[in-house]
Amino acid sequence: MSERRLVVIDPAGLHARPAARFVQVASRFASTVTVKLGDRVADAKSLIAVLGLTIRPGTEIDLITVGPDADAALEALVAELGPYLATAAPTPTIVAEPEPA
Amino acid sequence: MVGLVLVSHSRTLVEGLRDIVAQFGGDDVPVALAGGTPDGRLGTTADRIVAAIRDVLGSSDAAADGAVVLFDFGSAALSLELALEELEPAERDRVRVPEAPLVEGAFAAGVQASVGASLDEVAAAAVSAASLSKSIGG
Repeated sequence: MSERRLVVIDPAGLHARPAARFVQVASRFASTVTVKLGDRVADAKSLIAVLGLTIRPGTEIDLITVGPDADAALEALVAELGPYLATAAPTPTIVAEPEPA
Repeated sequence: MVGLVLVSHSRTLVEGLRDIVAQFGGDDVPVALAGGTPDGRLGTTADRIVAAIRDVLGSSDAAADGAVVLFDFGSAALSLELALEELEPAERDRVRVPEAPLVEGAFAAGVQASVGASLDEVAAAAVSAASLSKSIGG
């Protein structure tokens, strides 16, 4: 299993064009590919399921791949969806205010 | 690759829809149109639908895979029924008419066809498009 947290950077959210791209890239792999938004999940090989999540700009999603080519599937999706999604910080970080000089 | 046959009363409607399929699914997806009447009015004719279906079934890409037909409403259903009756049984076997909306169905089916899905998978994608929500969030 491979997993990556991504943030939607496209100002229109994960709209029709990237959703279609999602399906096309995910379908090249044998692994199951799941998009997770909060407690809702969608099969990334189903266009209508992905669109049904109504993923808005700025939200974080988890991309989960399971199967023989899970790593390759995840890397391909992250690469191909680059214009729409960015890798989110691995863990929520609390940035301390810099000390005044 | 499975192809799509788009049937509407309006020629310009299905021309626009063909652009959508090409844009989202890709240029490889075979699409044939049956929009409007031969004399340029709004309407549908069985002849045009038969020709469009045969166009897709005969295209080299779809030769093995078949055609998914989507239509708008009203007399389009009757024209399509007549068209299907005109097909040879071997042709009819490679045609699916899913219970699906025309616009969203073509969009979803086009993307599904583009990944090399089977005839029944493409038809199922069109059906699933009926569940796309139209509610606009807050």
